[in-house]
Amino acid sequence: MSNEGNGISVHSGFPNAADDARLTSLDLHSLLVPQPRSTFLFAIEGDDWREQGIYAGDIAVIDRALVPRPTDLVAWIHDDNFLLGPLTDAHPDAQLWGVVTSIIHRYRQQEQRKS
Amino acid sequence: MSRKPLFALVDCNNFFVSCERIFRPDLEDKPVVVLSSNDGCFVARSNEAKALGLPMGAPAFKYREIMDRHNVVCFSANFELYGDISRRITNLLSEVCPRIEVYSIDESFLDISALDIPDVEAWGRELRARVLREISVPVSIGIAPTKTLAKLASEHAKTTPELAGALTIDSNDTLYRAKTPVEAIWGVGWRLAPKLKAAGIMNAHDVAKARPNLIKQLVGSIHGSQLVMELSGQSCLPLEREAQVQQSIMRGRTLGHDTSSEADLEAALASLTARAAFRLREQRQVTHRIGFTLETSRHKPGYQRIHREIKLPAPTNDTGEILALLSHELASIMSPGKQYHRLNIHLLALRGQDTIQSDILGNFDDQKFIRQSARMEALDELNSKFGRGTLRYASENLSNAWLPLRGQGSPRYVSSWSELPTIRCYTAQGKN
Repeated sequence: MSNEGNGISVHSGFPNAADDARLTSLDLHSLLVPQPRSTFLFAIEGDDWREQGIYAGDIAVIDRALVPRPTDLVAWIHDDNFLLGPLTDAHPDAQLWGVVTSIIHRYRQQEQRKS
Repeated sequence: MSRKPLFALVDCNNFFVSCERIFRPDLEDKPVVVLSSNDGCFVARSNEAKALGLPMGAPAFKYREIMDRHNVVCFSANFELYGDISRRITNLLSEVCPRIEVYSIDESFLDISALDIPDVEAWGRELRARVLREISVPVSIGIAPTKTLAKLASEHAKTTPELAGALTIDSNDTLYRAKTPVEAIWGVGWRLAPKLKAAGIMNAHDVAKARPNLIKQLVGSIHGSQLVMELSGQSCLPLEREAQVQQSIMRGRTLGHDTSSEADLEAALASLTARAAFRLREQRQVTHRIGFTLETSRHKPGYQRIHREIKLPAPTNDTGEILALLSHELASIMSPGKQYHRLNIHLLALRGQDTIQSDILGNFDDQKFIRQSARMEALDELNSKFGRGTLRYASENLSNAWLPLRGQGSPRYVSSWSELPTIRCYTAQGKN
């Protein structure tokens, strides 16, 4: 194998250790969405939780497959609306929708690429 | 040790409607329909919409009055959403049972004979609950020793609420087979059903108990004996793991407005050709014969339908080559001033691109084919990286007038950052 572009020629009698490095680069998606099949993304609406550090436009990562624990932040449906809050605040009639696993806040938003 | 065959059919209930409801809890219990995006026909109906008598496949405009009266919520198909949800379900099912045949976007057969499940019906109900919990889509599950019986069981699981979404039937069952009219049997359909009924064979139980020769006479020899065996519990249709390769490809569009403009038709033709040829290359196939159908509106006087087929000098899967031939033909048959309504194109006589024999007449130019293939692969790669339509043939841009009038499509909830569903943070004031 030779690498012609930069005038260096590498003969790979040995396996190239750098090949493995490529496979282990950090992948944010696998950190934030370990279970893609049951995970859905929502945009936070409103600034009611600014003091808790959750802002309008942040992205809530919600996994439906997890069993909620008492300290979890969860999503539920009440009166046909999606609501997010501590499990302990959910109305008894509310229908539990999923467990919030991350809130993603971007400090500087890149201009969205078209489609 | 060879085990007894056992199949489960997992069928999503009113799949497209169920997808639309995931992010719209307000639509639970309301009549909802999904329309095909090119001709506005019903392609999915909620149970409430079925109860109003809206028929599958019928054009929505004919039922406008009923729909208005009952506030039927109407979506134009959102295939990005349906494809995403379908992949999630397939992913879950193939983890539960690696022997899976994805039969369609909303149905999969599982070969569960090797799983050693002690109580299959309880297993079915648990699987149903899991798909509902994790992906928010209701499914019905039929379990039986043959695929045909599994399909039959899933239909009853879907329509009989007491079954809680799962039904197991074995070879001795008479109840559910007798309850299944012949037209509802998988593989019978509306053309064969009247023949069977005329011979007094009214339901699946009658078929299973009939003399095999009689059924063979009525529906054809191979199909007939398969049908009898499958319905009496002897499996003869195996799980098909390989995706079915198509024998022909058709792409069609109803034009947004009837048009007599050659530029409009040319643009529609180019876009349809690009999509069909893309599919062809995806299947690693070439076409030997191409055709198109041009139609004026059936609802206007002077209805006309023209169909043309062209045999190709050599097989190809090149968009440019197919397009050149088709547009030449199109230009030669258009009547000036005629308002055209619909255009279909067909790629026929498909064959694997790896198995084309250098043809005896010497028509096939290997070198040319290889050059073309490389160019097409580059085009396909760009289009799949940057979205369909990144790289187009010049005539695709001529005109957008042919685009169909699109109904209200739901947001691209799972495929666009700017269209995510929204959630509010709970506050005591908004006390609920």
